[in-house]
Amino acid sequence: MNSDDELAGQLRDGDEKALRAAYDLYGAAVLYLAQRLLGNRADAEDVTQLTFVAAWTGRDTFDPERGSMLGWLLGIARRKAVDRMRSAARSDRITETVRAQLPLAEPPETPDRIVDRLIVADELGRLPEDQRRTLQLAFFDDLTHPQIAAVTGLPLGTVKSHIRRGMANLRRRWEVDGGTSGSRSAGPSRAL
Amino acid sequence: MEHLDPDRLVLLALSEDSTEPDESMHLAVCPGCRSDFESLHHVATLAAEGPSLGEQSAAPDRIWQAIESEIAQLNRPVRVPDQPGDNRAFPPATRRRPRRLLAPVLAAAAAAVLAVAGTLAVTRTADRQPPDHVAAHATLSPLPEVPPAAHGSATVLTDGTIEIDTRDLPLTTGFHEVWLIDPADTTRMVALGNLSQDQDALLPVPPGVDLNRYRLVDVSDEPHDGDAAHSGHSLLRGTLTS
Repeated sequence: MNSDDELAGQLRDGDEKALRAAYDLYGAAVLYLAQRLLGNRADAEDVTQLTFVAAWTGRDTFDPERGSMLGWLLGIARRKAVDRMRSAARSDRITETVRAQLPLAEPPETPDRIVDRLIVADELGRLPEDQRRTLQLAFFDDLTHPQIAAVTGLPLGTVKSHIRRGMANLRRRWEVDGGTSGSRSAGPSRAL
Repeated sequence: MEHLDPDRLVLLALSEDSTEPDESMHLAVCPGCRSDFESLHHVATLAAEGPSLGEQSAAPDRIWQAIESEIAQLNRPVRVPDQPGDNRAFPPATRRRPRRLLAPVLAAAAAAVLAVAGTLAVTRTADRQPPDHVAAHATLSPLPEVPPAAHGSATVLTDGTIEIDTRDLPLTTGFHEVWLIDPADTTRMVALGNLSQDQDALLPVPPGVDLNRYRLVDVSDEPHDGDAAHSGHSLLRGTLTS
């Protein structure tokens, strides 16, 4: 899909409609990431606002060659959320939110993993219909290859090839855009 | 043993089949196949968690409206009145004033801080608040013509001061000045003071300034021309949110 390139071009030309399109496409993912990182809806909305304003002022820095627009936006959102956590660490509202989160039994999900999940979900939505459909049956309905063949009426070999190519696409996108992309060779954590 | 077949790797990564002993042995000794398997397995796990993103609510329109209006402010240069004597466009606090009056103005500001501090001291006996309690915050972003590395933050503290912290501002032959502007009418603004050499400052907010109204923080490049009004050359801006 080429829409990132087109959007990037329009953004660079200073077309506000491109920013609106990016907001419609990716605003929910940015808000989701901010909400997961900050644990507070009001701050998450602020960070979403800051992210898109920063995307606008920094629109020249987006390079479609280096990653997707979603990956770029999530990177900005992550930095803004961290800024917010630091600058507001003194504020009671945040310390209380943080304190409220402490008793959680399971460890909080790392930012890398939240970004990874958003990126993979986005890519799944971009796959060709046949690859997406077979993968959804495998992931969400927990069907085996033969069951997918039975449900879809496709030959088993075709199911296998859709799944293999779909998985290869998801993996490629994750390697380019995932939370640890760029630092993977240096180690698994771009820890915050 | 030969490398694992790509279809087989996918089956294993999806946990649809478990590894045969010879496959496990191969994965243990072959970094290529192991890395393929681990990547595919990780991606499959991430994808299978996708439905939990259903919690993800659509980004509401009110955020977009806030983005849109902030961008509109960023793009709009400060309107500087054509007529030097035209004071109607300015609130009393920003009335054009000769530079030589700066010292008294600062003194007045300092007195104002003392007044605020006094009020706070009284309040604090009842309700002890840490002096660095944050009342509002703004991230300062560069305007389009400004080098993109320039940035900063503004933090209003409940003790009546505003902490300005900037980085990589373009060099100036003049000085950097901090303003609070009414985004609804950008000719209305309050001058807060200047940034020091290290581009940081702790400035008093004049008492009575409505931060809900004058919520746009602006850092400008001011020439040494003896003109106390805004030069119209804004470098950084950001909107205060509490």
